[in-house]
Amino acid sequence: MTRSSNYDHSKQAWEKDVEKTTARFPERKSSFITSSELPINRLYEPAQSEEQYIEEIGFPGQYPYTRGIQPTMYRSRYWTMRQYAGFGSAEETNERFRYLLKQGQTGLSVAFDLPTQIGYDSDDPMAEGEVGKVGVAIDSLHDMEQLFHEIPLDQVSTSMTINAPASILLAMYIAVGEKQGVKPEKLTGTIQNDILKEYIARGTYIYPPKPSMRLITDIFAYCETHLPKFNTISISGYHIREAGSTAVQEVAFTLANGMAYVDAAIEAGLEVDQFAPRLAFFFNAHNQFFEEAAKFRAARRMWAKIMKEHYGAENPKSWKLRFHTQTGGSTLTAQQPDNNIVRVTLQALAAVMGGTQSLHTNSRDEALALPTEDSARIALRTQQIIANESGVADTIDPLGGSYYVEALTDQIENEANEYIERIKKLGGAVQAVEEGYMQREIHKAAYDAQKRLEANEDIVVGLNEYQLDEEIHQDLLRVDEALEKAQIDKTQHVRNTRDDSHVETCLEELRNAARSNENVMPFIVEAVKAYATVGEIANVMRDEFGEYTGM
Amino acid sequence: MVMKPIRVLIAKPGLDGHDRGALIIAQALRDHGMEVIYTGLRQSAVQIARAAIQEDVDVIGLSSLSGAHKSLFPKVVEALKEQEAADIPVIGGGVIPAEDIPYLESKGVAKIFTSGSPTDAIAVYIKQLIHKETVQTPNKIAHIGIAVESIDMTLPFYQHTLGLELESVEEVDSEQVRVAFLNIGETRIELLEPLSDQSAIQSFLTKRGEGIHHIALEVNDIHTRLEQYKQQGIPLIHEEPKLGAHESQIAFLHPKAASGVLYELCQPKLEE
Repeated sequence: MTRSSNYDHSKQAWEKDVEKTTARFPERKSSFITSSELPINRLYEPAQSEEQYIEEIGFPGQYPYTRGIQPTMYRSRYWTMRQYAGFGSAEETNERFRYLLKQGQTGLSVAFDLPTQIGYDSDDPMAEGEVGKVGVAIDSLHDMEQLFHEIPLDQVSTSMTINAPASILLAMYIAVGEKQGVKPEKLTGTIQNDILKEYIARGTYIYPPKPSMRLITDIFAYCETHLPKFNTISISGYHIREAGSTAVQEVAFTLANGMAYVDAAIEAGLEVDQFAPRLAFFFNAHNQFFEEAAKFRAARRMWAKIMKEHYGAENPKSWKLRFHTQTGGSTLTAQQPDNNIVRVTLQALAAVMGGTQSLHTNSRDEALALPTEDSARIALRTQQIIANESGVADTIDPLGGSYYVEALTDQIENEANEYIERIKKLGGAVQAVEEGYMQREIHKAAYDAQKRLEANEDIVVGLNEYQLDEEIHQDLLRVDEALEKAQIDKTQHVRNTRDDSHVETCLEELRNAARSNENVMPFIVEAVKAYATVGEIANVMRDEFGEYTGM
Repeated sequence: MVMKPIRVLIAKPGLDGHDRGALIIAQALRDHGMEVIYTGLRQSAVQIARAAIQEDVDVIGLSSLSGAHKSLFPKVVEALKEQEAADIPVIGGGVIPAEDIPYLESKGVAKIFTSGSPTDAIAVYIKQLIHKETVQTPNKIAHIGIAVESIDMTLPFYQHTLGLELESVEEVDSEQVRVAFLNIGETRIELLEPLSDQSAIQSFLTKRGEGIHHIALEVNDIHTRLEQYKQQGIPLIHEEPKLGAHESQIAFLHPKAASGVLYELCQPKLEE
């Protein structure tokens, strides 16, 4: 962009002032960088011509969606406030859900315990000590019925953090809906169903990558006809970031994974515009406010370009990156836990500035244990205050046009694209995951961050600076150790009262489908309706697909 | 003497998939010259014990963030016992509430490092654990120091009301204090009176008034002990011992180290 001489004159005068001032008062650091090691300039200037604005930023609801995917954003409707919850038994979690809905939450988000997430029943020896700890234990349809007791599934949207056994839990959700008289096509919600990031960062995989990708495309195909309003996958950068990646890596690896799913679906014979509108994303929000807001804007623009230019999608719905955000669990400290409320507020604000579609705000005590009801309420109130009191939702993309934020958005896009190119050269995300490329990059970033922290180059308030001598630990939520036994009894009761020969038939039919190329989803739906358990269904597929044993 | 490197097994028991912490600890211990084997995710207690024996490790580090530590960590200790390898110490970390630590220690876990522990402190602890350098407990409470405006005004309570025997009164010029020692059981009470405004006791009196000033612990390894505390990052007032009353060697820890209590280490003069 050409500048007038007046502009240049003013700028030179300012530069002289800077020289004088810094001679007397040197800046706090010799160089400033973001967490992704992007240099931060002292000042950003107008950079965009009109054509560039239209091409790179555009208007809200218009390609490439840098300013948001809807034309009015939060002026029409706030983001969905969706708190992740689940612990202990299905009855307890059902109570917490109904409490949260009563408090004004607008969507449900289910946390499952680790045995459920890895396809083990509560009475499996592998499950010992883990039942109901990090989420609710679901073994059979009976548990799922209790989980959604008196919650009409045609009136809430439900997000389920479930990956390797996503098909089984989705089948149970369909079955509960039917029992309530709600047809599958009316169901709304999301299954996480993102297996690649499990190998990279989160660890709840069951099967090797190839059959796992097949399960995912089976779900895409099934939902296209039966659950057209359901988000079939939530491609997640959240856990990649929690494992220690930078903001740039979070965007790059997530979108690279997204491309792997699109490739797999196309290879399975699906039309891109048929399934792409149901792809959803899930990102993290950390503390560096501007970098985070820019990250969301960059991701949206990148995905729009990828879908339109690389895959040739024609339906604008396929171009739109819709995402859920959760604030950063790993940024919270066990020390002075009330400070976490402030961190969460900043992170939530960055997510809103970035145009998120839904948001989970973490509770202050999550570095210590599962959230108590009090902490969970404060976390929800934080979002409600941002929405109702701060006024930030009253105009669209308020940071748009900030010289700094636009420059950061461009830089994140460029650097993330370089990663995506490197992954393409490795043969795509599935190959890169199998070789451990992303895992190594993340580990390196995590270790560097830890070293900076221990050298006091990075300051975390209350952790390596501004500590208190005495730490008062407040009430923590403890999961009752007796729960495991009760859950096991419940599941064994289900096994004793169902029609076993019918279960056997269903599992055998599922086995045949798994062996052939047939879509497994209809068989899983029949099996859960017969009260086959999560473990029984997962084991049939373990037999057929094998198990992934890590790097 | 060149020691062979310490071998460490870092293990993730149970189903928890969060291994950022485990990987960082593994890397940090390698940077400290140790040989580290990481088991990967989802290891059973028996698998971990077997790996520890096969790899001939000196110590096992367990990590769990799923809340299942109370059932999983003791199982690893048990499995080691069953395989006759109870001599391999087990330490642990992750998301572990402070209330659970005594239980885990009672089940044979040597030490728990909670969230926010510096990696260096863990490395130093392992070195001390393996090289049997872990500090002994202090011998006894050498004395309890009480700051007073005037020893003469205070003595009657201790001598007459409590009936304690006055052992000695002396002046310590370096500290600008006058001290009186009274015997009580195997320990003593030390009354401290400032000799000038520069005295630390004077600033204590100005800030907090009369009262308990410090607790002195008798030790006989003051040099190595201070060195170890320093390595562990324990805040110290004195990094080297200095001369105290009765020609003892003394050093103060910073009250930050002990929830606001000022501790003195005190090594009495060796009897000829």
